[in-house]
Amino acid sequence: MSGPDRDDVKRRRFSRRVALIGLAQTAAFGGLAMRLYDLQVRDAHRYQPLADQNRTDVQVLPAVRGRILDRLGAVLADNEQVYRVTIVPALARDVKSVLARLSRLVPLPPEKREQILVRARRQSRNLPIVVASDLTFEEVAEVSVLSPHLPGVRAEIAWRRRYHDGVTMGHVCGYVGNADRMAVEDPDPALKLPGARVGRAGVELALENELRGTAGSARTEVDARGRMVRPLDRIEPEPGRDVRLTIDSALQQRVLARLAEVRRGAVVALEAATGNVIALASHPTFDPSPLASGVNEAFWKQMAAIESRPMLNRAVAGLYPPGSTFKMVTALAALHQDAVTPKDHLTCEGSYDLNGQTYRCWRRHGHGSVDLHRALRESCDVYFYEMAHRVGIDALADMARHLGLGRAFDTDIALQKAGVIPDPEWKRANVSARRAGANWLGGETVLAGIGQGYVATTPLQLAVMAARIATGRAIEPWVTLPAPGAARVAAPALRLQPRWLEAVRRGMVAVVNEEGGTGANAQLASDIIVAGKTGTSQVSRRSGESAQADLPWELRDHALFVAYAPAGAPRYAIAAVVEHGGGGGAAAAPLVRDTLQLILDDEARRREQAAEPRTRQEG
Amino acid sequence: MAELLTPLKRRTLTAKLMDVHWPLLVLVSIIAVIGTGMLASVGGGAMHPWADSHALRFLIGLALVIAMTLVPLSVWLRLSYPAFALGLVLLALVPIVGVEALGAKRWLSAGGLSLQPSEIVKVTLVAALARYYQALPAGLESRPRYLAAPLAMILLPVLLTLRQPDLGTSVLLIATGLTLMFLAGVSGWYFAGAAAAMFAALPLVLSHLHGYQRRRLEVFLDPDKDPLGAGYHIAQAKIALGSGGLAGKGYLQGTQAQLDFVPEKHTDFILAILGEEWGFIGTLTLLALLLAVVSVALGMARRADSAFARLVIAGFALMVLVYALINIAMVTGVAPVVGVPLPLVSYGGTNMLSLMVALGLAMSAHVHAHGRLR
Repeated sequence: MSGPDRDDVKRRRFSRRVALIGLAQTAAFGGLAMRLYDLQVRDAHRYQPLADQNRTDVQVLPAVRGRILDRLGAVLADNEQVYRVTIVPALARDVKSVLARLSRLVPLPPEKREQILVRARRQSRNLPIVVASDLTFEEVAEVSVLSPHLPGVRAEIAWRRRYHDGVTMGHVCGYVGNADRMAVEDPDPALKLPGARVGRAGVELALENELRGTAGSARTEVDARGRMVRPLDRIEPEPGRDVRLTIDSALQQRVLARLAEVRRGAVVALEAATGNVIALASHPTFDPSPLASGVNEAFWKQMAAIESRPMLNRAVAGLYPPGSTFKMVTALAALHQDAVTPKDHLTCEGSYDLNGQTYRCWRRHGHGSVDLHRALRESCDVYFYEMAHRVGIDALADMARHLGLGRAFDTDIALQKAGVIPDPEWKRANVSARRAGANWLGGETVLAGIGQGYVATTPLQLAVMAARIATGRAIEPWVTLPAPGAARVAAPALRLQPRWLEAVRRGMVAVVNEEGGTGANAQLASDIIVAGKTGTSQVSRRSGESAQADLPWELRDHALFVAYAPAGAPRYAIAAVVEHGGGGGAAAAPLVRDTLQLILDDEARRREQAAEPRTRQEG
Repeated sequence: MAELLTPLKRRTLTAKLMDVHWPLLVLVSIIAVIGTGMLASVGGGAMHPWADSHALRFLIGLALVIAMTLVPLSVWLRLSYPAFALGLVLLALVPIVGVEALGAKRWLSAGGLSLQPSEIVKVTLVAALARYYQALPAGLESRPRYLAAPLAMILLPVLLTLRQPDLGTSVLLIATGLTLMFLAGVSGWYFAGAAAAMFAALPLVLSHLHGYQRRRLEVFLDPDKDPLGAGYHIAQAKIALGSGGLAGKGYLQGTQAQLDFVPEKHTDFILAILGEEWGFIGTLTLLALLLAVVSVALGMARRADSAFARLVIAGFALMVLVYALINIAMVTGVAPVVGVPLPLVSYGGTNMLSLMVALGLAMSAHVHAHGRLR
């Protein structure tokens, strides 16, 4: 063993080094003390709110969606309460095993479990995911009781959209769908909630902002497992506003029943003065109720398989060449451009030559001498070829647009098609030069003059056109009544001389009521006078050669009819399309007559009820 | 003074007791009381289940310290090597017959008793190294031939604990062992060279890290990357600490703790709760106390008469220092999460035990330090 001196050496060295260690440790502790100072004193203000954030949970409270009511107040779309179970992956930690445990309490097929796991990976782990919906009270109670074993799971009451009279009002009301994709553009936090729905079609879509309401919030104090400790504060959600339609669903049902007698078609009826829609029928229809509870794969597959496409709202999105119903546009364009006067006569010999091409009149051997009145009454093609040729495509397109064609209306009707009112610019942009040449051709103008060629319209646009001609004002179509307190601005007058409108109106009256008129089938049994115009639009070239009855159904012409009534003081404007119906006068005019009759009967009934001494509550 | 002149005469028990460094025991006890108090808060305001066991263990530990103090240092000297060997053997047994818990094999269990060999090795390494340098004549420490044995004594247990895997203990063993070698007189140049070699070897070390260890490192460098997973500890601890402010939210008022936001709040992260409830004043006080314990112990070591005594006392000081520094650095986000307890404050029986045994050795060394060893 070392002697005292040796130990002395060791000791001194040890001493020095211990001092070194002592210094180092002091420095280290000093450094840590400074770090603590930074965290606890200097940056304390930053951590305090984070600590607060930790302990409070903000829950978004969804607002109850506004209802959709018909004109008389009948409920078409409202909300029902359902029980459902949601899971928050961040709190559940092991989502798979929690789901396995849940599947013993609520119906949860393995595919749905997969879906939930995928969703949990894709979106933020703090967002709740719906596990099962539409549960019984017992199932939800069981989940609540077993909640200590089900971290992150919440049993709650949710709202689900419910449709009454789904088949009748399906196209008008539309339906709601999942908000997922919409949530990207729309910052509303309520859209991120599980099962959040937004309007996808119809009034649900067009009036989404009114119907949705404003979400509220509830703050609660929670522990690290998300369990509520106590409630803090709460902002109640504001329910969405109820929306009232201009349509009486009982009347709509009757109109649809009559429409259903044809294979495919649409009817649009408006109040001429206000533009309020009173019937918007498309056949075939569908019932949107299955969509209310969320993605329904079976439903979509089924719908996609049906060839007649019941989900297409033909009234606002069906595109048809207007055929002869367009002739009022041509007439007004010619009158406006001073290209003709009502008294001028032309000779129709059954055909019309232009630039080496021959265009036929539907009457093989011609009409003989025609003026504007006769041309409209008997729907002479040659007269209108000439008129179109005289004014040119630009003037024609202008007038068409002035009468409401060629665009979607900026009102409250969702998913309208704009249709086509062609002009040289349009052709250059939309038609391949190889097919028809880059420049506009004269022949295309004359075809447009009789509503064929590129021209495409929807029944809604045609009804609006009829209303504009009937009233002389720029009527716009509305499907909902304005909110209480708000009023709609009256439509401005059209930029057309009254005498021209008069001439055209007289022609339309003649179509239905005079000898030789093509629309005699539209005459009502009563003495109310109907003014209208037939239209037959070619679908296939072969229809010129064979009789309609000889052609297969899908190659037959479309039948159209536009009208307004009563002729002297118009209250209603109406347009009807029967797909592949054949002749407009034969197939579409009776439809318009019957629809008008239903409307007038309804009107009379209401007048009687209002006149009764015993007051009846309306709506 | 009479004791100095008659080194071989056995002193009376009372004389020995009077020589015990009471201030050190008082300091240690204060820290333990703080720990008990925090564990009571973290336990929801109740002594059970943590505070009461912690206090009990400490009292048993104190008794153990007194008992060990009264045993002559020469006994401990003679037991050093055998104890170290036993520790190594037990450590080697762990991968073979060890009990697996939480993905690591660290325990041996037999007949209802279980122990962690790594805890034993912590203490026996200190004793063995001290023994070695007690025997080695002065001046020979830095000769390569005499470096082999101490390095082997450090490396063997380190390799075995790394395999468990137990990163925290390995770090302690390396830090303590190397520092003791430094204090024993090994040339400073070696350490400089070793530091350089470590830097060079860092990439290799990093590539051999277990998955979760690597994640810990990644998360340390960017805690926000995984706020709900591995980064959660760090973030929540910082929030707890930071929200305490200067004076804290008050005893038992820590929302992070009461509402269960800080995981491991009763073990590795207990400092965060102290910071939340007692503020900067509280944490600074605890830091000061720990610094005091280490300084007093180091002072004790300087006054000891033999290499064995000095190194054993220094060993105790280092055990406290290394763990305290790493734990505080971890909780404040300055070091990656390594799973190291705060001495005397964190809940955990085995660490308390090994610490108290080390204290017992140190105290025995202090009391007997004025005599000569055989």
